[in-house]
Amino acid sequence: MREVDVLVVGGGIVGMAAALDLARDGRAVAIVDDGRHSGTTANAGSLHVQMQSRFIRLYPDLAPNVERSLPLYVAGAARWRELAAELGADMEIKQSGGLMVAEDEAQFSFLAAKCARERALGLDVHMLDRAELSRIAPYLGEAVFGAELCREEGKLSPLKANEAVRRALDALGVLRLGETRVGTVARDGVGILATLEGRSAGTLRTGKVMLAAGSGTGALAAALGVRIPTEAEPLHMNITEATTPLIGHLVQHAERMITLKQLGAGQVVIGGGWPARFTGADAFPTVDPASMIGNLSLAQHIVPRLGALRVIRTWAGVNTTADGQCILGPLPGWPEVFAAVPGDAGYTLGPLVGRMAAAILSGREPGHDVSRFGVERFAAA
Amino acid sequence: MSDVTFTFEGHPVAARKGQTVGAALAAAGQLALREARTGGARGIFCGMGVCQECLVTVDGMPNRRACLEPARDGIHVRRQAFPGEPPGASRGTPPIGFADLAVERADVVVIGGGAGGLAAAVAARGCGLDVLLLDERSTAGGQYFKQPAAALREPALDRQQADGAALRTRADSAGVRVLDGAEVVTAIDAGSVLATRAGRAFIARGRALVVATGAYERGVPLPGWTLPGVMTTGALQTLWRSYRALPGRRILIAGNGPLNLQVACESIDAGASVVAVAEAAPLASGERLGALTRMALADPALAAKGGGYLARLRRQSRLRLGVVCRRIEPAPAGGLRVEIGPAAGGPGESHDVDIVALGYGFQPSNELLRALGCAHDWDERAGLLRTRRDASCETTVAGVFAVGDCCGLGGAPAALAEGTIAGVALARALGGAVTAALAQEADRAARELARHRRFQAALWEAFAAPRLGLSLAAADTVVCRCEDVGKAELLAAAADGDPAIGDVKRRTRCGMGRCQGRYCGPALAEHLAAQGDRPLDERAFFAPRGPVKPVTIADLVGGGER
Repeated sequence: MREVDVLVVGGGIVGMAAALDLARDGRAVAIVDDGRHSGTTANAGSLHVQMQSRFIRLYPDLAPNVERSLPLYVAGAARWRELAAELGADMEIKQSGGLMVAEDEAQFSFLAAKCARERALGLDVHMLDRAELSRIAPYLGEAVFGAELCREEGKLSPLKANEAVRRALDALGVLRLGETRVGTVARDGVGILATLEGRSAGTLRTGKVMLAAGSGTGALAAALGVRIPTEAEPLHMNITEATTPLIGHLVQHAERMITLKQLGAGQVVIGGGWPARFTGADAFPTVDPASMIGNLSLAQHIVPRLGALRVIRTWAGVNTTADGQCILGPLPGWPEVFAAVPGDAGYTLGPLVGRMAAAILSGREPGHDVSRFGVERFAAA
Repeated sequence: MSDVTFTFEGHPVAARKGQTVGAALAAAGQLALREARTGGARGIFCGMGVCQECLVTVDGMPNRRACLEPARDGIHVRRQAFPGEPPGASRGTPPIGFADLAVERADVVVIGGGAGGLAAAVAARGCGLDVLLLDERSTAGGQYFKQPAAALREPALDRQQADGAALRTRADSAGVRVLDGAEVVTAIDAGSVLATRAGRAFIARGRALVVATGAYERGVPLPGWTLPGVMTTGALQTLWRSYRALPGRRILIAGNGPLNLQVACESIDAGASVVAVAEAAPLASGERLGALTRMALADPALAAKGGGYLARLRRQSRLRLGVVCRRIEPAPAGGLRVEIGPAAGGPGESHDVDIVALGYGFQPSNELLRALGCAHDWDERAGLLRTRRDASCETTVAGVFAVGDCCGLGGAPAALAEGTIAGVALARALGGAVTAALAQEADRAARELARHRRFQAALWEAFAAPRLGLSLAAADTVVCRCEDVGKAELLAAAADGDPAIGDVKRRTRCGMGRCQGRYCGPALAEHLAAQGDRPLDERAFFAPRGPVKPVTIADLVGGGER
C-alpha cells in the first residue's frame, strides 16, 4: 500500500500547482488523474482577465460573483508569469492584450459600461474606436465597430506550461498516477484510506486529500455527503494550420461566443463557448459539427483573412462552472479533505488557486480574501 | 501535346489537361515543393491528398495540395515557405449556422467511390434506393481502379482500369448520384455527414451510411524518407496511371507486398528504369510454398498475375528478397542515393536514382468509423485495427455499414464483394425492393468474399515479414513529418513516466500537424503498447476527431466558392 501525506485528486493545473507547493514544503504527495475529462490538457491557453460576455449572458445572476472576483484574475495572470520564472520555463506567456469587439453602437455602449466597472476594480482597460483599432489590430474585418482592450489579457501555451509543471513535480518526487480514478475515500483510524481504480489500481493511505478534480469535484464531495455544485461544460475548440504572425491579441466578442488567438507555433485557436457533447458510457467529450460551423463562421466574420486557412483539428474541452467563484477550503465534517476549484476560467486561475489551496491545507495565509469561497456556502444554499 | 501552361516560381511549366499541378511538376522534374518546419524541402509523398507534404501556393492561396490541385492555364504556383501566409485582402462574410447549410437527401449516403463504395452504391440503387455517393477525387474510382482524369481518358491502360471505368459507368447509368470532388469533413450521425464540394459546405443526409474510405500507405520512418523524390509506391502509381506523369527515369522500389511488384512492372512499361525492387519478405523459402499453392487455388487468375510480375522482375535481375530500404540521402551528382540490405544489418547495395518508392503495406482510413463510435479490434498479424462487422458488413453502430480496405485491408476484389453484400443488406433494412436476381448476386458475393479472404490470408502468409515500426529510423530521423519530431525525442518522451498516447502527443507535438497523425500515430501506438503493456484498442491511437482532413474555413462557412 502506498502512503503519502496528501492525495491530490485531479492532475490538472490546479492539482499540479497545489502539489508543487505541497511538495516544496517537504510533503509526500500523490496525484491521481482519470485523464479522460481533463480541462487542463484540452485547454486552449487564453489568459482571461476582463469579464467574459458569454458568462454575463449565460449566467446573469452569477455575474456579480464573477465581477467581485476580477482582481483575482489579474493576480492569476501574474501568478502564471511568476511560475514560469520560478521553473525557468518558456511557457510562451504573452500578455499582449485582449480585445472584446463590438459590431455596433449598442454593443459598444455595453462594453463601455463594463469597461467603467472593471476600471473601478483596478483593471487596465480602455475603449478603442475603429480608427484606433485599425492601428493596433489591422487583421480585424470591416464588421468590427470598436472594442474594449484589456492590457493584462493574453495567452500562453498549455502544452509547454503543463509540461514544465509536470517536470517540476517529477523532480520533486511527486507520485503521478495517470489513467487512475479514486473509488472510495474513508477514514481508517490512522488517516484516510483511498481505493484507486484504473491503471494504478490499489489502495493508498494519506493524511489529507485535496479535491482538485474540476467538474468531477462535485461527485467526489457527494460521496462524502457534501454538496459542491460543479457542472461540466463541454466546449468545442478548433485549430487551424500554422501561418505567419497575424493576430496579436486574444480576441473576444461583446455579444457572440468566440475567442480566438494565435499560438507561438503559428496556429490559430478558435473557441469561445460553443457546446460540445459527452458521448458513450464514460461520457467522452466529443465535438459537435454544428458548433464547428457556427464558431468558424463567426471567426471569419471578424477576421476575414482566416477564411483562407484550413482547420486541421477540433476537440472538446471541459470548463467547470459552479456559482462563478472559487471553491476553496475544508469540507464540512471532513477537516482533512479540501476543495480546490477555480469556478470559472480555471486555467487562468489554476496556478493561483492551487497555491491558495496548498496554503489553506498547510494552515498558511492564502494571500487573498477567501472568506466568500468556503465550501459551507453550498450547504447553506 | 501540352495544352495547359502555368508558372512555377515564375518559370513556365507545360501540362496536359487533366493533370494535377503536382503531376505536371513531377514530370518536369520539379520535386521539391513545401518548406518544412525545420527547413529543407518536401515533395509529393502519398500522392492522394493525405500527407499534406506537397503544399504549394496557387495564385496567392497557401496550403493547396499539388497532388490534387488541377493544372489550370495561367495559374501561378509557388513553393510554400513555412508556415504559409493567407492572402491579405479578403472580405468578411455574415455569420451562418448549421441550419443555413444546404442538405442533400438520399436513402443511402456512400462515402468513397472506390471498388467497395461503387459496388455498394450499384447494389443499393438496384434495389430502388436513392443513393448519393461522395468521392474526394475529381474522378471517382478509388486507389485500385485509379481512373484517369476526364481529359486524359484515352484507351484504358489495362483490364484493371477498364474494369473501374465499367463499374463507374454502371453506377452512373443505374442512377447513382455520384458527387466527384466532395470531401467529407466529419460525421454528424449514423446517416449524415458534413462535406464540402467546390468550396461550399453541405450536409449529406441519408437513412444509412456506407463508409468505403479505403486505406493509405503505412509510414515507415527511415533516414531520408522525407527527401523530395521519396514517395509511396501508390503515389508513383497514381502519377502514371491517373496523370501519365513519370517523376523520374531511375526508380528504386522498396517495400512489402505485391503492389510494389505491379508498380515496378508498370513503371518499366512506362519507360522508366527500375534499378531494383527490394521486397522485405524472403518469399522464396520452402515453407512459403504451401501459401503460394493456396493462393493459386483460391484465385488462379490473380495468382498468375502476381507470378507474372515476379518472374518478369526476376528475369531482369531486379528483384531483391529479404531486404529493406535502410537509408536514403542526396546523391553527389543529384538525385538520391539509396541503400538497401537486410533489416538486421550486414552488407547491402547502393544505387543512385531519381525516385525511391516505399510501399510497406497500408493503414485503414477508419477515421470516420472510429469517430462514429464503431467498435474495432486489433489484428496483430496485420498490425492494424479492424472494424467489427456482421456478415452483412454492418458495424456495431446500427445503420453504419463499412466495406473494403477501410475496415482493415482485404484487397479490391473483397471490397467489391463486400459492397454488393452491404448494398443488398441495407436495402433490406430500409425496405428496398430486393429482386431475386439481386439476392442471388449477394449470395454469390458472399461465396466470392470467402474465396478472396482465403486468397488474402495465403498472400500475406507468403509475403510475411517483420513489421518495421520505428526500427529503421535513426535517432535524428523525423517520425512526425508535419511537426518534424525526431525518433530520439519521441522515444524519450514515451519513456518518461507512463504516458498515454495523448500525453506524448502533447509533449512532443507528434501527430498535431496537417496529416493529423496518420503516418506517425500507428507506429507510436504500437511502441507505447509494447512498452507500457497497454492493450491496442481504439484508445491506444490518437483520438479520431473531425475534420477528417484539413478543410478551408471559407469552404465551410461561405466565401470559398470556386
